[in-house]
Amino acid sequence: MKVKDIMEPVIDVLSPKDTLKEAVNKMRVAKRGATKVGVKGMLVLDEKGNLVGMVSLKDILKMIIPFYMSYSDLGDFTWDGMLEEMTKKVADKRVEEFMTKDVITIVEDAPLMECADMMVKHNLQRIPVINKDKRVVGIVYVRDLYYAIVKALLEKEDER
Amino acid sequence: MTHEVAETTQQVVMNGTFWTATAIFLLAYAIIVSEKVHKTIVAIVGASLMLVLKILEQHEAFHVEELGVDWNVIFLLISMMTIINLMRPTGFFEYIAIKSAKLGKGEPFRIMAIFAIVTAVLSALLDNVTTVLLLAPVTLLIADALEVDPIPFLITEALASNIGGTATLIGDPPNIMIASKAKLDFMAFVYHLTPVVIVIMVVFLFVLKLVFGKRLHVKPELKKRVLEMNEREAIKDPVMLKKSLFVLTIVILGFAFHGMLHYEPATVALFGAGLLLLLSGTHDPHHYLAEVEWPTIFFFMGLFIIIGGVVKVGLIKWMSMKVLAITHGNMFATSMLIMWFSAFASAFVDNIPYVATMNPLIIDMAQQIWPHLKGIELLHNPALMPVWWSLALGACLGGNGTAIGASANVIVVGLAERAGKKISFVKFMAYGMPIMILTVIISMIYVWLRYYVLKF
Repeated sequence: MKVKDIMEPVIDVLSPKDTLKEAVNKMRVAKRGATKVGVKGMLVLDEKGNLVGMVSLKDILKMIIPFYMSYSDLGDFTWDGMLEEMTKKVADKRVEEFMTKDVITIVEDAPLMECADMMVKHNLQRIPVINKDKRVVGIVYVRDLYYAIVKALLEKEDER
Repeated sequence: MTHEVAETTQQVVMNGTFWTATAIFLLAYAIIVSEKVHKTIVAIVGASLMLVLKILEQHEAFHVEELGVDWNVIFLLISMMTIINLMRPTGFFEYIAIKSAKLGKGEPFRIMAIFAIVTAVLSALLDNVTTVLLLAPVTLLIADALEVDPIPFLITEALASNIGGTATLIGDPPNIMIASKAKLDFMAFVYHLTPVVIVIMVVFLFVLKLVFGKRLHVKPELKKRVLEMNEREAIKDPVMLKKSLFVLTIVILGFAFHGMLHYEPATVALFGAGLLLLLSGTHDPHHYLAEVEWPTIFFFMGLFIIIGGVVKVGLIKWMSMKVLAITHGNMFATSMLIMWFSAFASAFVDNIPYVATMNPLIIDMAQQIWPHLKGIELLHNPALMPVWWSLALGACLGGNGTAIGASANVIVVGLAERAGKKISFVKFMAYGMPIMILTVIISMIYVWLRYYVLKF
């Protein structure tokens, strides 16, 4: 099997000009498969459809935590309601300001092992799949890969 | 006047080597000011050119005190940076900052004043950039807690760090360099500079009170956020903290008595760094040593060699004759000229290359005025002492003039920008320049009164 056999289609995407608030809303209502709603990460495409970034829950968290918290250990001195206050402060930040810009992609014809290796090495939950022309054709989630592993194991047992 | 200048041209041979060295020096300084290439790279390339073109022999650059790298400065900086790197993870500085905010009872102006004092005291003992980098994150947190604009707090801290740094030998790089070249010890700085810095600090706080005293108000429920913080939670490693404070005490005592014990400051600091590394029990010193600001260290080394080149060919001597021609050897006029020129020069260009140039220039000038004196007798000539103090005061306090005048200012502007609050060059100057001029006026009165009127 190749990546293109297990990838999922890309339906909803973000624009680099979307605000954090808009992005959060898009991710909240995005469809996942046939029944589920809400995703934890989304691709960012420009108006020409080029992949320019990716936003995950972690990117949003990083945007909300004030930058000075990373300079020293100040977690002990935060207060009730600080998260909510800080969230409101960054509500109008643009996606391009907090998205992950160096997105790791995989080609649609890549073997699954390459995909598994990439996910573990770079600690990824999802990888955009591109074709030869570097256009996004789908997205592969760690769970898709996991299903492929489950399938491989169960098929083997059936053969026995 | 013409007589003196004529004499110089006889003494300084303006041959090809002279002009080559002068060209390297001027070009290097121009590129450093333009910021087109990182200053450390400029310094390293300039220094290597001085060697490759045989203006300076490698032996002179590395081993001759008058021409080469000032290892006293280098080892003092490396050692102090290592001590701080070992101390930082203990949470000591966060503890101090949170404690200060609580002492201010959540009142913004009181917090601002206490932070200014703490910054000044820490800057006098550590380097300014480290102090500001350690206090600024807590300042931003406190400002968020109180829902006040952090910018006045950050600018105040930068200004206070430059003022506090002026007070001691180890407070600011210009002082470290002056101390090493002029063979002045720690207590000399405490005796001659600390008093005026205390006066300046009091006036500075008074100005802050006038400007911000009535402007800053917060709601009681916000003050509670600060008062509920428990500074003890900042201490991450109490054992290492005790070891660090023990070593820091030894180092400060060592500085206080180094003149008496005939140790160079670098010896004291190196001993402290070695002792704390040993006590920390670390098996991996790499991390602590790698965190030393090596680009700054190499910037110093490169500059020393570039200056060595122009000292050797006589450019500095020629320049010192020009200064003498203006002041006619009047030491009071020289002091005042150097103080004000240093202040404005340091406000716009890096004060490290500036002081690196001024040190040999002053020594050359002194040699021409008192040709029969040598060594300490020359360097510590009572008539020359006010010139050293004027250079230190001008170069250190001048850093407050603009956003690029001192590294602490650059850090603060950078942090403010990350916090989404841009401090423009003009905005910083609106705070910094009046403070610079005010503090230099105080210094001027101090030097005049102490060394030329009361003479003690």
